[in-house]
Amino acid sequence: MSQAPGDPPPRPSSAWIRYRRIKSAIGWFLAGTALVALSVAMVQILLYVFLQGFHSLAPKLFVENTVGVGGGLKNAILGTALLSGSAVILSALIGVAAGLYLSEFGEGRLGTLTRFLSDVLVGVPSIVLGFVGYVTLTVWLRWRFSLAAGAITLAVLMLPYIVRSTELALRRVASGIRESAYALGCRDHQVVFKVLLKAAAPGIGTGILLALAISAGETAPLLYTAGWSNYSWSGHLIHEPVAYLTYVIWSFIGEPFHSAHALAYVAAFLITFMILLINLLARFLIASSPHSNR
Amino acid sequence: MNQILSKSPAPSDGPVIPNPKFQVRNLNFYYGTAHALHDISLDIAERKVTTFIGPSGCGKTTLIRCFNRIYELHPGHRASGEILMDGTNLLSKSQDVHALRAKVGMVFQKPTPFPMSVYDNIAFGVRLYERLSRTRMDDRVEWALKKSALWEEVKDKLLESGTRLSGGQQQRLCIARAIAIRPEVLLLDEPASALDPHSSLKIEALITELKADYTIILVTHNMQQAARVSDFAAFLFMGDLIEYKDIDTLLTNPSSPKTDAYITGRYG
Repeated sequence: MSQAPGDPPPRPSSAWIRYRRIKSAIGWFLAGTALVALSVAMVQILLYVFLQGFHSLAPKLFVENTVGVGGGLKNAILGTALLSGSAVILSALIGVAAGLYLSEFGEGRLGTLTRFLSDVLVGVPSIVLGFVGYVTLTVWLRWRFSLAAGAITLAVLMLPYIVRSTELALRRVASGIRESAYALGCRDHQVVFKVLLKAAAPGIGTGILLALAISAGETAPLLYTAGWSNYSWSGHLIHEPVAYLTYVIWSFIGEPFHSAHALAYVAAFLITFMILLINLLARFLIASSPHSNR
Repeated sequence: MNQILSKSPAPSDGPVIPNPKFQVRNLNFYYGTAHALHDISLDIAERKVTTFIGPSGCGKTTLIRCFNRIYELHPGHRASGEILMDGTNLLSKSQDVHALRAKVGMVFQKPTPFPMSVYDNIAFGVRLYERLSRTRMDDRVEWALKKSALWEEVKDKLLESGTRLSGGQQQRLCIARAIAIRPEVLLLDEPASALDPHSSLKIEALITELKADYTIILVTHNMQQAARVSDFAAFLFMGDLIEYKDIDTLLTNPSSPKTDAYITGRYG
């Protein structure tokens, strides 16, 4: 390819263009296949759960407790709300604080260690977390199956997600905003609480909601820590087992009774619906953020 | 005052500035081990516009960031030497950095409105230092917005988010936010470079207005802008102060060939 200096570079040959078109078509084909495979699987699961669950749905399920393998789901709905609700509060308090530390002061060795441990925690199977919760809270502290044991175990499960999303949300706040706050003469706490957290709130909120969605769908950590109860929670933090929806799915689907299956499908329907709602809410939060692209 | 002046003689080749607001003496700056400013000495005149010019990477932004010690936010950024403000060294450890920043406001290249209402963007800074009644705060916000030539455009949307304003309006909001806490000095780090020409001219007009009340230090890479708004200009090149003069002399009769090459557009 000899080219006189000053000549424009040669136009691409038609063979080259054809080659690129073919490559592009292959790429589109692979992406399309992946999309179809994924959405078919997802739509099938959702449809199945919704159809099976919806037709067993009845008002009495929301007002009656479980009796044997029949009755209602009031105890389980209440239990899931309590377990996930208290877990998310616990986890958000610790997780947002840790994320804040990592983003603003976490350059040193302690920050690296915290980040590493948090990443390891994501990889720990939830059944292992449940077992640790069982050994420490249920047995060693003698809390037995209880709301406190279940909620704390769930909180540990959610923690790394909240830590990471908080750190990322704070880091995404434009450095100019941080510097501007300091340039006005703000002290560290004023910058963090009055400016940064406000600017990062949609991102942090989204992370908390997604962690909540993850925890609501968990079974394994609760088997060991919350137990199961046929009664609605009566107000004891420890020594009182708690019912939850995912247990109904996990346990009742294996029973040879129609009433048990119906309850399991309704529980699956409710959990799926709830998680879908939480995800939509998280999306909405992201979309409404004025700082989402900075 | 004379005693201080005699302690810190003005650099021989700079312009003669009686009663300087700042006296920079033997300022060196390091990014980790990289030596970014070499022995800078210059005087900054009170209630004038002093502009730092030079090609990208010459150290002009590094230099302006020393005047409110904002560089300290980044580990490894370090300055040595002295910057005397009204006679006291603001780089000394005993200088309270928050008190310094209350007197030396700063506006950055990209507009940085806080994620709150137009009103709160301004009231936020004021609340750091003063406890004002609602009506006095309203007055202060209005004063700052008028001073920064933004009032007419935002007086009906004070409660809307500051991030919804246009880029030029956001930048004037940042200037309003800086002057609302009544500083003595404004540091403007390329305040118009991210804006369209019309907004840019508005900022320039504003700078000219504000110098009646504030000592202004400006960084710009736009020579026309420097010519329009500056009283004095310092040309920096690769961390060295090459030449510091009143703006007309610097533009029409530069003594260094490097300055000449830059202002005639041969590099930059």
